[in-house]
Amino acid sequence: MPSQANSALPPSFQLEQYRIEQQLSLGGFSIVYLATDAEGNAVAIKEYLPNSLALRKNGEIEPQVTEEHQAAFRYGMKCFFEEGRSLAKLLHPNVVRVLNFFRANGTVYMVMQFERGRTLQDFIHRNKGHIKERFIRGVFTRLLNGLREVHAHKLLHLDIKPSNIYLRNDGTPVLLDFGAARQTLASDTPMLKPMYTPGFAPPEQFNDREHLGPWSDIYSTGASMYACLAGSAPQRSDERIKKDLMEPATKRWAGQYSTHLLETIDWCLELDPLNRPQSVYALQKALLTRSRHVAPPPPSTFLGKMSVKLRALIGRS
Amino acid sequence: MKFTVYQESRPGGRPNNQDRVAYSYSRDSLLMVVADGMGGHLHGEVAAQIATQYIIEAFQASAIPKIRDELLFLSRSLANAHNAILDYAFEKGLPEAPRTTIVACLIQDSVAHWAHAGDSRLYLIRRGRTIMQTRDHSRLQLMIDQGLITEEEAAVHPARNRIFSCLGGTHSPQIEFSSSTPLFANDLIVMCSDGVWGNLEPDELVDLLCDADILERSPRVMDRAESRGGLTCDNLSMLSMRWHDDYAEDSPSTVSTDTMPLDAITTQMEGFARSRLPEGTGLSDNDIESAIAEINAAIKKFSRFDPNR
Repeated sequence: MPSQANSALPPSFQLEQYRIEQQLSLGGFSIVYLATDAEGNAVAIKEYLPNSLALRKNGEIEPQVTEEHQAAFRYGMKCFFEEGRSLAKLLHPNVVRVLNFFRANGTVYMVMQFERGRTLQDFIHRNKGHIKERFIRGVFTRLLNGLREVHAHKLLHLDIKPSNIYLRNDGTPVLLDFGAARQTLASDTPMLKPMYTPGFAPPEQFNDREHLGPWSDIYSTGASMYACLAGSAPQRSDERIKKDLMEPATKRWAGQYSTHLLETIDWCLELDPLNRPQSVYALQKALLTRSRHVAPPPPSTFLGKMSVKLRALIGRS
Repeated sequence: MKFTVYQESRPGGRPNNQDRVAYSYSRDSLLMVVADGMGGHLHGEVAAQIATQYIIEAFQASAIPKIRDELLFLSRSLANAHNAILDYAFEKGLPEAPRTTIVACLIQDSVAHWAHAGDSRLYLIRRGRTIMQTRDHSRLQLMIDQGLITEEEAAVHPARNRIFSCLGGTHSPQIEFSSSTPLFANDLIVMCSDGVWGNLEPDELVDLLCDADILERSPRVMDRAESRGGLTCDNLSMLSMRWHDDYAEDSPSTVSTDTMPLDAITTQMEGFARSRLPEGTGLSDNDIESAIAEINAAIKKFSRFDPNR
């Protein structure tokens, strides 16, 4: 299916009570705008506009959806609603807040709180190779607070990556873009292929979807931390499974960051879901302690067990 | 509508689980089904699967938010499930249609209606007593009714598993319907396959479940039946549902359907090997409007707790 870039609504377009300021991002599934509401507050508006199914030509407002794509377009809309439903119930300082939901121009829109700042992606590019351990621990510990809330609502994010992590000007992170929640729904429909970002998605997201769980978001979190150090995403996990070329963080940055942080990152990036931290809480605990975490699986030899005990002792002192 | 529900199906000592349990509810209607595929026959598992799935899907298509005629629904969906099993056997060229027992219970407006064929049972327990119970469609039950043998003798009778009515098979099922039975707060409905009741004393189910938290106690009932069944224990399935008064205190595991959209259905099915694609991917203009209204209602509701607003 050829996909063509959709043109965005023009600046100063009046969309219901909101005035479009500019386009913020263009994805395969939607366009995000910066807009102001009637009181002049800045908001982010996400427009449902799947590239492969709907086309808005330059200068037009209403996107065209051909007869054959109608059903798929509506189905995708259902998934967009799922995202809205998920977010509407979440109220957490580290999760983006939804303010309104409406229908216009033959499609649907989600209005979210806009905050000044930049994405972690942007931050990584500007500070390549100079990101401090304190920053990483601080951002991710807070971000995980938000992710915990998401998991507590029995949702998975499934698209955690630096470009979906937003840093407010005060440095606190906000988790964005819950569009990937649609994947759970869309996995069997060919017209809306599940989307993931190579390098940040865990192996089970490629082919083993019934094994998705909190540990899947944890892999992506680990990959995002890895990207903070490397400046780019680690090797794709589907390729890692065939031939693992990813250099473990413990080896690559030995001496530059604490062994404990590097071990924690490698722990998240385990290919076997069972070997990763199983819950956000487990990972948070690791990020908050200075001591080395005891890596699962427990060593079975006597010597191994002793060394674990010893390490735990040293860590505590 | 408020209720607490528990369902579980275990293979027992058998390699396959031929039992199926499922429940499904909309805002105003609750349906529960237990089916026990007959092991001595070909593809018992398939029969139980087809029957359960068929009845649940019929419910999903018509409980929007309520079924107009309960009795008609039960009689039609069970009869059609039977035919669906025959169709399957015909398509696959099976020498004999697979068979399954069935017990299905539909509750609307705090009134229960149930129907069954075979020896999977439904008990209605109120204030510590079984006030209603399905009668097995077994030769043994007939013999008990005629006073030829006692219940104690029946419990160990070699032919206790022989039933004369079921879905599938060569004969038309004899489906037995209950009268409309009003439910009161704390009434308990227990539906189970013979793997459960066959391994328990007659009063044990009542004693164990009557006043207890069914979510906590039902698995223990299953444990007990399973351990009595020993190494060759039959498949065990149980669905227990406590009906709550509207004024009952909300416990977190209580299901309240008051806030469900009129056309929404929630379904839990246990023991299915594969899941199916969600039905009806279409979205009408009304669906869009109601989804938007629902999301905005949620936003409004949760914004009240937002300290920044």
